[in-house]
Amino acid sequence: MDEDELLNGEKIEKVLSPHPLSFMRYQSLSLFLIIWGILLLWLVNFSEWNNIFSQSEWFPIIVWGLVLLVAGVIASIVTIRWSIFFLYLLIFAGGIALMISQGWLDASDIFIPSYTVSISIIGFLLVEAYRQSHKYYISNQRITFKGGIFTKQERTLRYDKITDINAKQGIIGQIFGFGTIIPISQSGFGLGSDKSFAGGGVSLGEKKVKLFGLFGGGKDVQTPRARSYYELHGVYPYKEIKKLVEQMVQGNVITPYQQEQVAFQKEQVDIQKQMRDLLKMQSGSKIDQKGEEENSE
Amino acid sequence: MEASSIDIVVFAPLAPILGVLLFWFIQLVFIESEKYLLSKIRSKHEPFCRFTNFLGILFQTICHALGFTITKSGISNFYIDIDYGKVAPKKERKGIFEWVSNVFLFIGPFFIPAFLLLICLFFLMTSGFEIINPSQLQELRYTFGEQITSFGANLFSFTNGFFNFLFNIDLLHPAHFGFLFLMIFLGMGIRPSYIGKEKKEKVDMLYDLKNIKNLFINKPIYLIILFVFAYIFFYISLWLGTNWYVAFFVILGWLSIISLVSIIIADIILVLIKTTDEISGKWKVFPYLTIPTSYLVGRIFFFYIPTDFTRPMSILILILSTITVTYILIKRKTDKFKTKSDIKKLKKKRKGVKDG
Repeated sequence: MDEDELLNGEKIEKVLSPHPLSFMRYQSLSLFLIIWGILLLWLVNFSEWNNIFSQSEWFPIIVWGLVLLVAGVIASIVTIRWSIFFLYLLIFAGGIALMISQGWLDASDIFIPSYTVSISIIGFLLVEAYRQSHKYYISNQRITFKGGIFTKQERTLRYDKITDINAKQGIIGQIFGFGTIIPISQSGFGLGSDKSFAGGGVSLGEKKVKLFGLFGGGKDVQTPRARSYYELHGVYPYKEIKKLVEQMVQGNVITPYQQEQVAFQKEQVDIQKQMRDLLKMQSGSKIDQKGEEENSE
Repeated sequence: MEASSIDIVVFAPLAPILGVLLFWFIQLVFIESEKYLLSKIRSKHEPFCRFTNFLGILFQTICHALGFTITKSGISNFYIDIDYGKVAPKKERKGIFEWVSNVFLFIGPFFIPAFLLLICLFFLMTSGFEIINPSQLQELRYTFGEQITSFGANLFSFTNGFFNFLFNIDLLHPAHFGFLFLMIFLGMGIRPSYIGKEKKEKVDMLYDLKNIKNLFINKPIYLIILFVFAYIFFYISLWLGTNWYVAFFVILGWLSIISLVSIIIADIILVLIKTTDEISGKWKVFPYLTIPTSYLVGRIFFFYIPTDFTRPMSILILILSTITVTYILIKRKTDKFKTKSDIKKLKKKRKGVKDG
């Protein structure tokens, strides 16, 4: 954060970035590719089943694609994110397109593993670049979140606007001491929703009369969720940062007792002001009386 | 020599039980060594120790949950983190059900990880499992001595096959490499006690044993029932002329052997970590780099000059090169092996420089 971005009297307490392992859900996609690439290299070239693969250049491609797409479907269902499946589909389609266009179909036993491993390395690098684009500044007045490789995202949150703090730590986070802190603002920024839908249809009658009914029901649950550049994603040391943020919020948010005290003090000030005015008025009238008396004398 | 009936009726069933107990105690001693090594490296490798703690707690919690499932108590709450694990039953069951759940909790972590490895070994090992076939052992007499011999013979056959597999392990084979990885991974978790953040209390073998002792002392009747079942099982085996009784305990022996080897391999890795911690800077990475490099060099060398022992020789090269590199680094980069005469020489030299 540049000097000119700081507010009057603002002091930076901590500058943070996500822990290298905090984007494991993305890294695991690349990790799977690298493992599958090496496994395929062994399977096609060195295993006892390599004869099966040498029968046709399409066999390694079919096995590679099948495993890749099945893994994509499983990962998508588990994480409820179809982008994973489409990503793997893109990798598969890209590989085939490259092989056909370059005429490398004969060398599929070497090309596919090399291609898979190369893609996974690129994936790792992209995730790392994305991680490094994140910066969180905790100052005495606000938290500033910055992130994004090409499009720069920024969020500024004053402590008095924070209503809740959600904190979570997965198993890897617990082992390495990092975690995610989501400050939820009064406007509801930092909240997402989990949707579930159940539907069913029924068809009655076979020949002439046909009845069709569709029943559905949906459920919406509010849950703390934000993009990694709108939350303190995978910050280390988690416990220390969580305490710091809570202290900052505590220091900037007025408690009910303090509110009562302020109201009471205001009341006192008003009474004093009224008394002062009365005294002024009294002393004013006395002076007037004296003046009148002097005039009459 | 004729076997006495008292030997067959009273002592023979005890033979495999004693055999299993012996192995289990050896396992406990090795677990203690693992805990000691982990506590030594804790200050420098906090995440690593947290990870091993998590593994230990994970197995313990799974065993507890398994206990509740088997006793049909149900599970109402399953909580696990790196410091603590808790499983709460749906129904609070007393008596034998509670006792069985506790048996799973205290003894399960010693055997469940090994059982997972045993399943993997079943697909990887080429020999070692075949000897437990009862028909091959029908001629055995059912005395204490013969039972213990049978137990030992079965165990030897498995151990032979297992070590044969380990010495011939192909680290370029994904299944073999995966097995070794899993073995180290599970080896770190075969311990029922947590290693504390600070030295709050001494959690050691005695603590574990105390828990198990209390379990048996508080409800001796269940222990007696267990023995009665064991004796009945033995008599049925005797009546049918089979060796099922020993075969059952042999499986527990196999699990102990697998656990022992896993812990030993995990201990070797912990010793390597502890030793390399003494080397400062980038040099400490070299012993770890030597492991894959030396193995690959060995495999390439024996690929061009083939021998009958390519894999064991490559493993041997890996071990020797790692030890050598670590030794050289310790000698050169630390004061570990500096003898008194060396220090005297150094002092003289320094004195000479000062005077000169």
